[in-house]
Amino acid sequence: MNPSPIAREYLEHGSSATCPIIDMHGHLGPFYGCYLPSSPLERMRHRLRRCGVRRIICSHHSALACDAQRGNALMQEVVHDYPDEFLGYWVVNPNDPDTTARDLRGFEQRTGFVGLKFWPDYHLVPVNSPKYAPALEFADALGLLVLVHTFGESPFDAPALLAEVGERYPRARFLMGHSGYGEWELSVAIARDLPNVYLDLTSVFQALDFAQMPGGSLMPRAPALSPHVNGLVEYMVETAGSHKVVFGSDLPWYSQHYHAGAVLFAHITDEARHDILHRNAERLLGTHLQGPAVSPADRQPAIRREEQP
Amino acid sequence: MASANGWKFFDCNCAFGPYRTRVFRFARTADELIAEMDFGNIERSLVYHTAMRFDHPAVGNERVVLETSGRPRLLPTWALLPSQTGEQPALDTLLGAMRRQGVRALRLFPDEHRYFLDDLTWGDQMAVFMERRIPLFIRASLDKIAGLLRSFPDLVVVTGSQGANPLDRYAWPLIEKYPGLVFETSGYLVDGGIEEFCKRYSASRLVFGSGFPDNANGAAMLTLARAEISDADRQAIAWDNLNRLLEEASLP
Repeated sequence: MNPSPIAREYLEHGSSATCPIIDMHGHLGPFYGCYLPSSPLERMRHRLRRCGVRRIICSHHSALACDAQRGNALMQEVVHDYPDEFLGYWVVNPNDPDTTARDLRGFEQRTGFVGLKFWPDYHLVPVNSPKYAPALEFADALGLLVLVHTFGESPFDAPALLAEVGERYPRARFLMGHSGYGEWELSVAIARDLPNVYLDLTSVFQALDFAQMPGGSLMPRAPALSPHVNGLVEYMVETAGSHKVVFGSDLPWYSQHYHAGAVLFAHITDEARHDILHRNAERLLGTHLQGPAVSPADRQPAIRREEQP
Repeated sequence: MASANGWKFFDCNCAFGPYRTRVFRFARTADELIAEMDFGNIERSLVYHTAMRFDHPAVGNERVVLETSGRPRLLPTWALLPSQTGEQPALDTLLGAMRRQGVRALRLFPDEHRYFLDDLTWGDQMAVFMERRIPLFIRASLDKIAGLLRSFPDLVVVTGSQGANPLDRYAWPLIEKYPGLVFETSGYLVDGGIEEFCKRYSASRLVFGSGFPDNANGAAMLTLARAEISDADRQAIAWDNLNRLLEEASLP
């Protein structure tokens, strides 16, 4: 039997008082490509409470999939109304530079947003394209988090492309959404070698074979295969270190208990589980976790681990 | 052996044996699989040997029986092929061997073994499996399974591991149409999916699967352990439904 007291606590109670979750990768709203039973906001809030999630950092599906202006505004309402549950990523659509420029000028006046969200595979713009440069320069200047959807072998957001921007913008802090699914060795090496790049566990715990799906992938090109993913967390922790891995679930897509189960029943230490489930997020979010009373001018990231004396 | 929260899990989808590609953590032997089951809170498993899927069914079917022998927590399954190429015994012989070896379910890997899931290919076998209610665990996309069920609507088919994307727009019409279709839960990670399925349909149409080692150990188990469903439904999905499917299989 798994000897972890934390695993036992989640198994018996569904959550842990001593090891809560901060979910660094969530969304809001329904999605065009599938039915998501937990997408209604109240349903989602209920699910967060059941899993003991201290905070979830989201971007709105509408902002990603169609209308950045509308979706970002909807996200703003939610982080305003529920600041103790939700924080936001501001979605950048690189195909709309005027809106992006305007949005970035107003970014520091908004509370509840911790950084930017890029979806290169769906906006069909490579993350290292000049079209992303203004947003990346902005994130670099402010030390913002940038959550980038990454997938193995993608011409838009493969791990190697993320590494390129990670090196070019060293003060921005990059979360590799889905950990560059499929190109595991490269993704983990990048997170190990670049101090400002982190692995995000969202939807990495299941073998992904789009040949098994009648509609294939919504991405422009079938992504890298990964027929067997058990043991991936152990590999990440051993190679990049538990301080470079953050929890994400894609909620309302995927069950947070599914993702937590993979971390809790991985062959790693409880210290590593603490790092992954909440400590790394606490370091990355810093004063954002103190709630809406913090003024924009005071919103500084916590001291990075690698910068600590 | 009761699990930590009192629930016992009977896993319908896990494998042991070697792989040709890199797998970060897997069970090379039956005993290693039992150790992983202990760690992952799994009491019993309906298993396949990787040789059934990646070597040849004739090789794997023999190995799975041999290597699970004397291990009552592991129940073997066999992989099935179309009859035309003569690579497996004639159907009567196969069914008799299943009875003798304690094999009460079959697995189909149409993508790996490269055959159609249609009436033309399976006309001589599926009617028998349908009549005998032998559960077929099929790893294939839902449109292919739908095609098979159109020809054999009362087949007992268990499917899952469809990839992470939620598939209910594909799956629910099939559940409504075909009474023998059952989903296993290793691929059912859409949040609230199990709850919604039980509310709309019935827990009797779901069986627990871990997907080990294709999927991460512990993920599907904790999802089911903490699903917002009745204890009766949880018990059914975790254990009873798979037991029932195996008991209902009629072998000569």
